[in-house]
Amino acid sequence: MKLRRALAWSAAAVVLLAVFAAYLRPDLAMTLANQLWACF
Amino acid sequence: MSAAAPTSSARLSMTQVLLCGAAIVTLSMGIRHGFGLFLQPITMERGWTRETFAFAIAVQNLAWGLAGPFAGALADRYGAFKVIIVGSLFYAAGLVLMAVSTSGLGFTGSAGLLLGMAQSGTTYAVIYGVIGRNVAPEKRSWAMGVAAAAGSFGQFLMVPVENWLIGGFGWQSALFILGCLSLAIVPLAFGLREPKQPAPAGHQQSIGAAVREAFAYPSFQLLMAGYFVCGFQVVFIGVHMPSYLKDSGLSPNVATTALALIGLFNVIGTYAAGSLGQRLPKKYILSSIYALRSLAIVVFLAVPLTPWSVYVFSAVMGVLWLSTVPPTNAVIAQIFGVQYLSMLGGFVFFSHQIGSFLGVWLGGLLYDRTGSYDVVWWLSIALGIFAAAVNLPVKERAILRPGAAPA
Repeated sequence: MKLRRALAWSAAAVVLLAVFAAYLRPDLAMTLANQLWACF
Repeated sequence: MSAAAPTSSARLSMTQVLLCGAAIVTLSMGIRHGFGLFLQPITMERGWTRETFAFAIAVQNLAWGLAGPFAGALADRYGAFKVIIVGSLFYAAGLVLMAVSTSGLGFTGSAGLLLGMAQSGTTYAVIYGVIGRNVAPEKRSWAMGVAAAAGSFGQFLMVPVENWLIGGFGWQSALFILGCLSLAIVPLAFGLREPKQPAPAGHQQSIGAAVREAFAYPSFQLLMAGYFVCGFQVVFIGVHMPSYLKDSGLSPNVATTALALIGLFNVIGTYAAGSLGQRLPKKYILSSIYALRSLAIVVFLAVPLTPWSVYVFSAVMGVLWLSTVPPTNAVIAQIFGVQYLSMLGGFVFFSHQIGSFLGVWLGGLLYDRTGSYDVVWWLSIALGIFAAAVNLPVKERAILRPGAAPA
């Protein structure tokens, strides 16, 4: 039970960090930055 | 159908409710969160101003809030799964019409009105009604935290996904693909189809009586006031912080990383708030969240502005971002029971959306009048202290109704 719980938490952490890494990809970072800045 | 709490033998399984409910809010909260990415391609191709696009999104947010109590009442009365299916069909239709609209009016009707109504039928209030009725009170707040975390994850996930879709297929095809994706909510809704219940014995309450009871009850008014502040702070920071950073000379990448950090820590915060709600009085959790938001803003304004101060502030605000959602809805269930939980959650969310509207609007208005965001930052701090104070006297125990079994 403890192992299953640890695996579930680890999988959730990996998924969250993978999505976070996607935000740091230059193409998305550029698109978001341009859009945010263009609004002001 | 009657939407009173089912007997334990007639309940849906908690795993089923959580899997289906979490998947639905992941899609419904996620798809809408990436709409900002469509601003440039749509306005450029259609020859519209940004105002046309922004107006449609503003209408969407107001429609979401206004339709919430009605969608909730229908879900409580006729069954959440029917409302979710209609919401999913509205979502798909809204996205397809958004892609083919060539006039500002058509775009406002689809991206604004239709998608706003779609969200009212597929997001927290309706899903929380099913959770409330099918998950035992001792696990309810935790379960609401799981669903809220799923919605936060959807918001976090779909921005890069939609960016990839637009880059790979073009904005119009991306909207068609998202329309198909929103139809995945339909089969998931069947997982939330509650068995028919016999009418509960004893006290029977009409929708009108439930509304009158809630609005006359001081704790409900206090919860609405707190949720108003939540909407004000979150949307003011989400919309105006990039401009604040730009004015302060920070690079665009700092704003992008800040948004990513808010998204990441929001998932953690919503889950943690739901879990804590099982152990601590929810009014203290809510009061602490609002007080900590004010404290975080004070510290952020007091320290020199650097990329790292922005990152730390974003992570802290991320934890506190939507963490008000599970305890607010769980305390409503605790006070009023679960028969009209979706409708009452819809009313409280309407208050949130009014706060959101004022946060965006006042942020811009006061910036134009004073030349800085200082006044609105301090207004946010004051409102946070106000919300922390008004949540403290909330009475969490079940309301007493003559001749009724305990909620």
